Amino acid sequence: MIEEPYRWVEAIANRREYIEHQLAGGSPLVALTYQGGILFLTLSRERQKIFEIYDRIAMGAIGHPGDIERLRMAAIEVASTEGFTRSSQDVSLRRLAAFSLSPALKAAFEQVYGPPYLVRMLFAELGEPNLFYRIDYDGSIHTNGGAQLRTFEHFGVISGTPLSAAAMTRHLSGANHAGLPLPEALRVAVDAWTVGRLAREGDEGPFPPEKIQSARAEHLKDFVIEAAVLEKDAPQAAAYRVLPPREIEDAIGNPS
Amino acid sequence: MDPSISSEPAADFPAVLRRQGLHPAPFLAAPHPASAVPDSTHATTILAFKFSGGVLMAGDRRATAGNVVVYDRADKVLEIDRHSLMAIAGVPATAWEMARVLEHSFQFYRRTQLQEMSLDGKVRALSKLLRDNFGFVMQGVGIVVPIFATYDAPAQAARLYFYDAMGAQFEAADYAVSGSGSPAVRSVLYYENTWGARPLRERTREEAVILALRALDTAADLDTATGGVDRRGRIYPILKIVSVAGISTLGDEELASVFRQNV
Repeated sequence: MIEEPYRWVEAIANRREYIEHQLAGGSPLVALTYQGGILFLTLSRERQKIFEIYDRIAMGAIGHPGDIERLRMAAIEVASTEGFTRSSQDVSLRRLAAFSLSPALKAAFEQVYGPPYLVRMLFAELGEPNLFYRIDYDGSIHTNGGAQLRTFEHFGVISGTPLSAAAMTRHLSGANHAGLPLPEALRVAVDAWTVGRLAREGDEGPFPPEKIQSARAEHLKDFVIEAAVLEKDAPQAAAYRVLPPREIEDAIGNPS
Repeated sequence: MDPSISSEPAADFPAVLRRQGLHPAPFLAAPHPASAVPDSTHATTILAFKFSGGVLMAGDRRATAGNVVVYDRADKVLEIDRHSLMAIAGVPATAWEMARVLEHSFQFYRRTQLQEMSLDGKVRALSKLLRDNFGFVMQGVGIVVPIFATYDAPAQAARLYFYDAMGAQFEAADYAVSGSGSPAVRSVLYYENTWGARPLRERTREEAVILALRALDTAADLDTATGGVDRRGRIYPILKIVSVAGISTLGDEELASVFRQNV
């Protein structure tokens, strides 16, 4: 049946629907430029969602843990091999995304006899300017426009549903956070996450500060903040650092 | 599927390199008759010893080929990660490649496994690289005899190891040396540790720096393949320290002033 073209289109559409349904429960994830580099943040209860890929590249992902792990390993392998044979400066997110990950994801998604990857990933690369790449299960890439050395956004977001991601984007587009110190950036990121979470539950907004405030307090009781930074002034080549709980609590306040 | 994404994740970084045909694997051919016995003089002097603040590692700057000085700014004390140093004696091409593989192996492990490689794992990783390289050694090329120092966080102590060319690892209690100038500095370190005012591990940072520079000066005087200090060119030995805070490198100005006053 798949031999007929329109059947194939139908199969792809079904597959897309299925994957979107699977991803819909994913916790929002925010990455944004702050004064010292790039901050990654999400709230979760169980699995680690933010990972170091290479010296200046990190990723966050939602989806099936097995698929996330497979793609994470592949990204680290590709970046490490490039960094080893050439140099750390030759490892580029653009190439990693467009040359390695996207074709693999597209192929798996469109070969309807095989299993697709159930993932949505957010990559960021420290540089001038900072790059944010959202890569979806079908291999499509959404960037913050850094290819022309001009960025339209200082952040990147992913979430379980398109509405949730759109709400976060609207929320973060309001102001430029690129000059904020880390504690303030953490608060901005938690607010953005909260907006994403509310939108995912079906709240269509608007999201005034008081609403975010109370929802945030509610969520902090049930979830743990996971955050990491890519620091542009790191003393060593590897810019990635996981934020310890104390540093997060100092900025956000202890929920208990 | 895209060829750059492999179907099976690799166990470790050398495995990644092997799969891509990038691993500097030796070709295990029969040894060349003329060089069947590996040349055991690795023209250089490197030394490391424990002092009150951790491990100090030092190396001269000269690279030689036979009786020719090839380079007078060689860096033989290499940072492998935030808490590990490797000093190299032997063939530079192989040694630097080994350091590069090691550095990437530790990082690859941390990134894929989401934890630091254990101390034993790191020590063993270098041992394995030496073992893999032994084919080259038997052909009379590519011998490397390194020293490795790292900070053992659970034990809260800096640890020091030396190796032979086949990859056997030995933990040093107080000091380790390698290279053609090592007999000279080994005597100095033995004497200072046993008969000096205080054992090496009780000495201060300043005393340790003076001792390391004096030991290298001794080696440079007794061994043609070890470079001394070029005060006119302002070329000083490389000195680095492994401690709980990580790795610190002594600046040229500090070394210059220690030389003026104490060496």
